[in-house]
Amino acid sequence: MSDHDFHPLVKQLLDGDLTLAELPAELRAEGEEALRLLAAADRTPVSMPAVTWRVMAALERRRRRIRPWLLAPALAIAAAFILWIWPARLTAPPPLVTVRFVLVAPDAKAVSLAGTFNQWDAHATPLVRAGATGVWTATLSLPAGQHQYAFVVDGQRWVPDPGAPAVDDGFGRRNSVLTL
Amino acid sequence: MLTLLAVPLTLLTIQQPGAIAQRLAGRVSPNVAALVEQLGTAGSARGLPVDPLIQKAIEGSAKGIPDDRVAAAVRRVATLLDTAAAALREGGLASDTLAITAGAFAITAGLSANDITALARVGARPQALTVGLRVAGTLAALGVPPAENIALVSVSLRSGKSAADLLLLPADVESEVAKGLTPAAAAAGLSRAAAAQARHGPPPGHGQERPHPPAPPHP
Amino acid sequence: MRPGAEPTDGDIVRAVLAGERERYAQLVERYRDRYARYAARMLGSADAAEDAVQDAFVRAFDQLAQCKEPDNFVGWFFLILRNRCFAERRRSRATAPLEAADSVAAADRTDGGAETAERRRALQLALLELTPDQREVFVLKHVEGLSYGQIAERLSTSVASLKMRMHRAYDRLREQLREHA
Repeated sequence: MSDHDFHPLVKQLLDGDLTLAELPAELRAEGEEALRLLAAADRTPVSMPAVTWRVMAALERRRRRIRPWLLAPALAIAAAFILWIWPARLTAPPPLVTVRFVLVAPDAKAVSLAGTFNQWDAHATPLVRAGATGVWTATLSLPAGQHQYAFVVDGQRWVPDPGAPAVDDGFGRRNSVLTL
Repeated sequence: MLTLLAVPLTLLTIQQPGAIAQRLAGRVSPNVAALVEQLGTAGSARGLPVDPLIQKAIEGSAKGIPDDRVAAAVRRVATLLDTAAAALREGGLASDTLAITAGAFAITAGLSANDITALARVGARPQALTVGLRVAGTLAALGVPPAENIALVSVSLRSGKSAADLLLLPADVESEVAKGLTPAAAAAGLSRAAAAQARHGPPPGHGQERPHPPAPPHP
Repeated sequence: MRPGAEPTDGDIVRAVLAGERERYAQLVERYRDRYARYAARMLGSADAAEDAVQDAFVRAFDQLAQCKEPDNFVGWFFLILRNRCFAERRRSRATAPLEAADSVAAADRTDGGAETAERRRALQLALLELTPDQREVFVLKHVEGLSYGQIAERLSTSVASLKMRMHRAYDRLREQLREHA
């Protein structure tokens, strides 16, 4: 037992099994020191409001590297929204890949998707809000290849996908990139 | 509501007279349409793709960008296509509109003409090179520096990785970055692994990696 | 799920596994703050804690099919977060804890004066010198306010072993605080 060790009765005080008044008089000072130590514990609540969209954005990034044959069967079913439809002949159009787009935008009244796959038409591909979660989704079948896109929030704000890499659009904004 | 697109866009060269005007009709101003027609026709004659010009014009108009800035962006795309085509020729690849489009994208994302030439010199088939260029552009957009980027895509192309495997490289880099590596270190590590795999075949248990389970109560 | 009722954790877990990935946001929303303070005190930095909580939710999603009791998602999630916090401290032991504790202290200056902030900062620094399991039992009891019985249940261990761990923690904290006084 070193000089720094609290007396066993003081440890019981810290544990809440004894009160300061129940300590022998010679241990009171040590007891008070111990209680000051406990009083310095920081119990300020901590809130992390950004975690929800950060997690969902991270999952979206991972969606694009899902390899269903490596996953547990149940998860593979969950991930099965990526379906490859192979071309019958080499001259056939590129295979289609079904992709789900997700944006967490709790305050939005409408969200749509515009990109190289729909002639940048901000009205062609609306996302659907999932309940009251603020999560908006759309599922598209896109040809394998490279696509650039952005979300259009409330018909006005062009927002890159937080879960995808992005490049300069030549107009001072960013386009998200999807490589299938 | 699910929106399924029945008509996928193609990146084929459009050479029929009036085809460009048809694509742009009602979508962009007459001035921008005339510029795209002019640049597109001239580019087509040199074997360049036209679709990226059309897309940029439509994109600018949809985003409400003033005509002069849309025109500048379209001209820039035309220049990028020329640069990419020259870089690919330098690397020994004859005109291939898909590869040129992918090369122009890679330059937009931060790679140089020399980087494009380096990838072309790997000697992969045009289809594989096109995927490699798209992936290299995506890696650049993720922050992988050119040296590590080209090394990774080159070794992957040389080892004959399938298109599906190439397409997983960006996500593999992101996964390593999520563990705390820089994009450069992540790409370098994947390059080493790909090179080792090319020499010795896949390591035992490769592909079986799983996130580790929760700790026991007394770690 | 029962019509009109708030979905249980189990309802949401099963929906996510069936392909409704976006429903996972409901679980994150429900529990993101529950262990935020635990993570912040374990790691000594609000930023590191946020990264840890985010990472734990992503790992939990990856392993969701292995969650044996979907209705106790939060208990299972806590173990993943705990594992992440322990690993983080192992990895960052070489980094200067002073910087990490600064962020905790800075947030305090508005609600208790410089002296309180300094005492909190000193204790947080001393906590970072403990082993993770000593620090954890202190945080769960004296920050989160759990009883030894509740902690024992959560960590599947005995009250006696927790007390032993805690009593060593008291001594080491006293030693650290005296050395840096």
